[in-house]
Amino acid sequence: MLVLSRREGEKIVIGNEIIIEVLSVTGDGVRLGIAAPKETSVHRFEVFSEIEKANQAAEAASGDLESSTALENLSAKLKSQQ
Amino acid sequence: MNMPNISIKGKEYQYDERDVILFTEGLIGLPGMRRAVLIPMAEYAPFCWLASTEDERNRFIVVDPTLIYADYQPRMPEIFDGTDLKLLVIVKISSDWEQTTVNLRAPLFINPEAKKGAQVILSESRYGLAESLPLN
Repeated sequence: MLVLSRREGEKIVIGNEIIIEVLSVTGDGVRLGIAAPKETSVHRFEVFSEIEKANQAAEAASGDLESSTALENLSAKLKSQQ
Repeated sequence: MNMPNISIKGKEYQYDERDVILFTEGLIGLPGMRRAVLIPMAEYAPFCWLASTEDERNRFIVVDPTLIYADYQPRMPEIFDGTDLKLLVIVKISSDWEQTTVNLRAPLFINPEAKKGAQVILSESRYGLAESLPLN
């Protein structure tokens, strides 16, 4: 991992288009400003990690053969609601 | 025309190469899930399979959330130009149907014309990643 030291107001650039600025440092918190192309998604790592786990859990659950009964029930309920 | 086959949980399906959706960034945490097809489950409508054409492990049950949640209107991402995007959410199926949840926090947007898709994490945190289905 590349490690850089930066002060308030200083920036780093990733690739040609992503710029991260240290806006302020207070106690053990750091505020960052991120400028990135609109197609680049930027998220707190915790959120990303939660979604990753949710995707993996959904993928694993789809392999459960017993779930076809659940699909049958859900399908019937959704159809009856429409 | 010779249609390729795809195996999903032991069953064979045919698909049209022109219907392959490209997820340029894969799904979140699954960067390899790039080329996928959407296969409607004939017996269990409106559920569909979203299946990778490259990795037999990448099999997801998905559904159009607007059929279930009338007020679910996530903001369309800017990643695609404003055409009619198809919206899907990933279902985490459970053998007990009442325990089944859907991920409303990170829906899939698909541009059916361009055959491109992306999973997007919404900034609207009122949508949960394991919402139960409002059915009784």
